[in-house]
Amino acid sequence: MALTKLKSNPLSVIFILVSVVVIAYATRFPDGGELGPGFFPILVSAAIIVFAVADIVVDDDTELEISDFSMVPAAVMFGFLTAYLLLMPYTGFLVGTMLFLPVGLYYSNIRSKLMITVISIGLPIVLFYIFSDLFMVRLPEAIIPVSRLLPPLPL
Amino acid sequence: MITMVLNDISHGLANVLDPTILALMVFGVLLGILMGSIPGMTATMTIAVLLSFTFTLEPATGMMLLLGIFGGAVYAGSIPAILIRTPGTPSAAATIFDGYPLSQKGEAGRAIRMSTVASFIGGFISVLALMFLSPLIADAALRFRSPEFFALALFGLTIIASVSGDSLTKGMISGLLGMLIATVGIDPLTGYQRFTFDVPNLMGGIEFIAVMIGLFGIAEGLRKYAQGIDDDQNQINQKITGVLPSLSDIKSIAPISIVSGFIGSLVGAIPGAGGDIASFITYNEATRWLKDTTPSFGEGNIRGVAAAESGNNASTGGALIPTFTLGIPGDSVSALLIGALMVHNVTPGPELYQDESGLLYTIFVGFLLIYVIILIFGLLGANYWARLINIPQNYVWPVIFVLCVIGAIALSGTVFNAWVMLAAGGLGFVMRFRGYPLAPMVLGLILAPIAEANLRRSLDISGGSLDIFYTSPIALTVILLSIATVAVPAIRSVRD
Repeated sequence: MALTKLKSNPLSVIFILVSVVVIAYATRFPDGGELGPGFFPILVSAAIIVFAVADIVVDDDTELEISDFSMVPAAVMFGFLTAYLLLMPYTGFLVGTMLFLPVGLYYSNIRSKLMITVISIGLPIVLFYIFSDLFMVRLPEAIIPVSRLLPPLPL
Repeated sequence: MITMVLNDISHGLANVLDPTILALMVFGVLLGILMGSIPGMTATMTIAVLLSFTFTLEPATGMMLLLGIFGGAVYAGSIPAILIRTPGTPSAAATIFDGYPLSQKGEAGRAIRMSTVASFIGGFISVLALMFLSPLIADAALRFRSPEFFALALFGLTIIASVSGDSLTKGMISGLLGMLIATVGIDPLTGYQRFTFDVPNLMGGIEFIAVMIGLFGIAEGLRKYAQGIDDDQNQINQKITGVLPSLSDIKSIAPISIVSGFIGSLVGAIPGAGGDIASFITYNEATRWLKDTTPSFGEGNIRGVAAAESGNNASTGGALIPTFTLGIPGDSVSALLIGALMVHNVTPGPELYQDESGLLYTIFVGFLLIYVIILIFGLLGANYWARLINIPQNYVWPVIFVLCVIGAIALSGTVFNAWVMLAAGGLGFVMRFRGYPLAPMVLGLILAPIAEANLRRSLDISGGSLDIFYTSPIALTVILLSIATVAVPAIRSVRD
């Protein structure tokens, strides 16, 4: 019975374990346990443990019905996003986005080559100009600085 | 005080009539209507994704864009609710009850026009309440010291945990996790580096805006993919004709819209009780007060649409009352607005009414004007907004993901925050599946610094004794309310 409750609340179990680790780590802070820097994280972690244990004991049925969803598309999209960020130091924002968008759009069942091309090339360029030239945000640059080929805005 | 307020209002009016600010308001409203009309695209998600566009703008200008999106999206959520029985935003869920039956009778245009008028009435009342009530609350809050602020932070967390999901324990865990995440970085009182593991990007703490973008943008998008990206494609062919609402309809909905506006403002001011709760309460009250109506509620009564829409739009201004006066967000959107202000080193709280009253009243007057813009554009464009429902979502989500990434990068110009955002998105996705509400986590992130600094300061003053919380009547009352918020549902649950 107890094992079933633990199995049906895996996140609560993980949160308890994380909290225990946090408490163990925070007690090593100077004056940990009193009003030092460790006081608040320990207090919060202890509260998480209390509520997570209560959650396991109550075991209410609040999770979404998993059979209504397919985890594969979400996992694949998460994988695309991870790859997009992993490659960004090499591709830069501009090229990286031009690579991510066609893959993402195609995976989202868009089959119009024209739309994929227009969105994948147009959006990164528009965003690049807005953030780089208007907002002066330094966006990640590729190893070969392709974005410098774009003409500056006549501002 | 009244003279000062009126003086600030006139200054605010002068500021918002600036052509750039006006243009951004209109743009924000249109963007909000666009996103709110597409089922599943919430105001919170839209604001989270577009927050980065305001970083380089003046605080008041940026807020006008965000509030335009907020008001526009909450209003437009009613359009798919009326036309396809699917609320564009959670706030519009109660609009379905009478809006959809009206649509089935071929009166979708009438329902949308009345929803627009009621949204205007509710939103306008709530901003007036914000404008005239909030200075009084802020004035009282100026006398608050550390124990009172800690108590308020605790109350904010417990109440949002209790109203934002089906499970109080999961809500509390979510809020506490947010608080724990917020402890990463330099300790505000001693300067000690906590949980930074010598990673330079963690020294300044985890950027809570990146976490919010992840929770509301990435997690929501992943959920959409899990649900089936093609499942929500809709086709609206019903033509919405006419622009102006009939006088008899306006007369019919005016009283209930005004009353719902006041109730919605009050409900919205309770941390955690957003537009969805406000609209259900106002709709329910309308059905209690207006008996023997023809057609009856649930069968296409225009006053049902008005009650729900006035209530949910009224929650927008209401939610800003605790946000601006106490620094405690009324809902997820106001948490994001706090984030937007903090980027400009503007920290909401009672002092804001003394130090930045010009900025505040520009925001208030601007928000009033935003509701006028919603009324005009809502009526003029009803037929076009209805067509927005046809936009295929599979085009939208990859673009939103890119906006999330650039938004996180724009926070500090590094990819690090994009990783934080992605991690928060993954965590948020898993937590939502397990039934954990995400709004408390955002509130936890915002409230943690307030709670920690004031708790430690209070205990320092009292030499570690908890008496300091008992001797302040306000702190004691608020702490007792917080305990009751957690204890009452717990006792009820044990009894059941």
